Amino acid sequence: VSALALAAIAVWETCAARRDAASVPDDAAWHEAAGEVRAEFQPGDLIVFAPGWIDPVGRRELGDLIPIAAAARMDADRYARIWELAIRGAHAPEALGMVPVSARDHAGVTVRRFERAPAIVVGDVLERAASATSTGASIGARAALVLAEVGFAPHRCLQISPPAGAPVRLTFPAFPLGRTLVGYLGIADVFTRRDVRTPVHLDVELAGHIVASADAGVDDGWVRFAATTPPGAADVTFVVRAASADRKLCFAAEARQ
Amino acid sequence: MKILSVTLTYKAIGWLFALATVIAVMVDQRDVGIARDEVVYMQAGAHYASWWTDLVRGEHGISAEAVTQGFGGSSPTDNNREHPPLMKTLFGFSDLVFHQKLGLLGEVAAFRLPSAVVHGLAVALVFRFALALWGLGEAILAALIMLGLPRALFHAGLACFDAPSMALWFATVCAYWHAMTTRRRSWAVGVVWGLALATKHTALLLPFALGAHYLIVGWQASRGGPESGPPSFAARAWATLAYRWQVIASLAVLGPLTLYALWPWLWFDPIHHVRDWLAFHMNHVHYNYEYLGRNWNAPRFPWHVAVVTTVLTVPVATLAAAVIGAGVWIADRERRIAGGPAILLALSAAAAIGPFFLGTTPIFGAEKHWMPILPTVCIAASVGVVWAARRTAQTIRVPVAAAIGVLGGLVVIAAASEISVGEPYALTWYNALAGGAPGGADLGMNRQFWGVAARGALPALTAVAPPSLTSVYTHDASPAWSIYQRTGLVSRSLLDAGPEQAGIDRSQFAIVIHELHFHRHDFMIWSSYGTVRPIFVLRSAGVPIVSVYRRPPK
Repeated sequence: VSALALAAIAVWETCAARRDAASVPDDAAWHEAAGEVRAEFQPGDLIVFAPGWIDPVGRRELGDLIPIAAAARMDADRYARIWELAIRGAHAPEALGMVPVSARDHAGVTVRRFERAPAIVVGDVLERAASATSTGASIGARAALVLAEVGFAPHRCLQISPPAGAPVRLTFPAFPLGRTLVGYLGIADVFTRRDVRTPVHLDVELAGHIVASADAGVDDGWVRFAATTPPGAADVTFVVRAASADRKLCFAAEARQ
Repeated sequence: MKILSVTLTYKAIGWLFALATVIAVMVDQRDVGIARDEVVYMQAGAHYASWWTDLVRGEHGISAEAVTQGFGGSSPTDNNREHPPLMKTLFGFSDLVFHQKLGLLGEVAAFRLPSAVVHGLAVALVFRFALALWGLGEAILAALIMLGLPRALFHAGLACFDAPSMALWFATVCAYWHAMTTRRRSWAVGVVWGLALATKHTALLLPFALGAHYLIVGWQASRGGPESGPPSFAARAWATLAYRWQVIASLAVLGPLTLYALWPWLWFDPIHHVRDWLAFHMNHVHYNYEYLGRNWNAPRFPWHVAVVTTVLTVPVATLAAAVIGAGVWIADRERRIAGGPAILLALSAAAAIGPFFLGTTPIFGAEKHWMPILPTVCIAASVGVVWAARRTAQTIRVPVAAAIGVLGGLVVIAAASEISVGEPYALTWYNALAGGAPGGADLGMNRQFWGVAARGALPALTAVAPPSLTSVYTHDASPAWSIYQRTGLVSRSLLDAGPEQAGIDRSQFAIVIHELHFHRHDFMIWSSYGTVRPIFVLRSAGVPIVSVYRRPPK
């Protein structure tokens, strides 16, 4: 029995090694799949790839249709149409739970298109970064709009390094609000995350009251926070704290209708 | 043994295995890119070889100043003094002789030859050890299975320490076994262990295995005869220690002496320098390492890293055969060969892999850091194959040799098929249990390290780059860039633009070697180039390993 089992395993491995190595769709399949997307692509569509490790190949095929702002998005909620190019049965997190309006296989690359009512953004802190005023920030601890690595993913965010233990208050005057304010918090830079292990904290204040809070540790990635807000313009303050110096705290937030 | 009317002694068969291994490694390494650390070892090796030749020529003496200039310095990494010099010195002399003097090998191949030769020695030793303790079938299979390990074959083709440290670890085990069972050449145990120490600090773990085995064997031998009655505990303890005291003396005296003799940096202020050497590794920075979908760069690490990584990076049939072989050893304990070679092999493996269960030992580099388990795995696999084949031969009444040949052949072919799809990007390869390289990527296993894959993207870069001077962000290939230029793999007009964002901003082309923690390099390039679109993506079995970007025209 053991010899038979061993022989079976060896034969299986001999075949499986070859099969596995050829299991990822080739360039022809990707070209064909990209062709379908190009034919029906509309400005403002989001293109995602699954699994995540095939992302470079996807960007090679369709990267000209992916603006940096889309690749480094806060989240996918503002996109009405999402194209998912997937292999090996994977699904992109941006399309989880959605039903595709079209799906077609191109020799192993499955192109699915999803449509939905998008979040209507009425205010974006990244677009209003220049108008923000800060208190508590020393020189070198001012917020900067950057494209950062947070949780090994790209995110455009306001990056700030608060002094250890001291809060920095960043106020956006007359910020247009909708019914919700949605944001994300994280720590940029893998090396400072390795060397400094303490978390960061963010509060959102509206009219002097905290309406949302979030904590992000070194392994938490891009942490979501949200608050219900009264529509209209108001001063919105983001209060950020870090127990240690040299924390590259990153956040983004949108007011949504 | 007679093959095609040629009578071969077993010793000759062992050497043929060694030769075949050296050839296989040297052929395989031709397409393997230059590892980041390898460049450091090559440079240090060339420097050490030059120091020794200058010493022989009388151009300098052995003063503290001369030794420091050759092997040391004030910084912990000056002249690569954080690693002992044996293999580096051999790399340097190999380059000097086979490349610079004789012109027989290219620069990179010449530096790598000593690793290949020492790996050949390891395979030959596996053959000899299995032959002496089990039989010819086991010996041949153990050697072939050892040769059929994709990751080991890869590491043996680098001018680094990992494959050599495995070889010298196992050579020490063999020397110890020989001394314990024959009472001859005890001196060799210490000398060979000293060579292992002079290769890599991990050899410091070996005495735990040898010491435990010594105590087991010595305690068994101290029981006394039936006529003398049971000896006291003290008497048994003394008898245990004195059982093969020459082996202990050899390890305690000749091991450190060999290390001392081979490492000029220890000739002055040896205690201080040994303390520095060990402190460097006890406090080593934790490099980033992806494991099961998460980037790990700080303890506590999962206890199962070493087990899972080994299970996914040794051919499946080899693992299955090793499980059978281990079962045979366990079931056979009542009839074990005197002295317990299986116990010795198990202890050797345990000492090599044990620290990685602690959760604090650095896990970057993965299997290369516990490679000394592999001789144990391969010998166990060979024992398993032969045992299963013998039982089958009895059952279906076929010649035992034929059964061993067929079953062993299947196991070896399975390993060979893994090698054929894994090389030259063996760090991206995972076995069929994982689903190959794509399965490993799905599982979130480490993609690669040391930037070796950059070499595969050089032809694509060369094809699109203009002939004029052009800056290239070379990422993790930066240390190797000048060697790639010298060896003609990339044009001298393609200049290394320098590190990080400033280098990217200066560059017209950019390379990114894909690892989870290297994603930030993509993002820096996007910011600078204004596009997320690479022009070329190098893949191994479909898995992206290197991207090349070109700055779009303004």
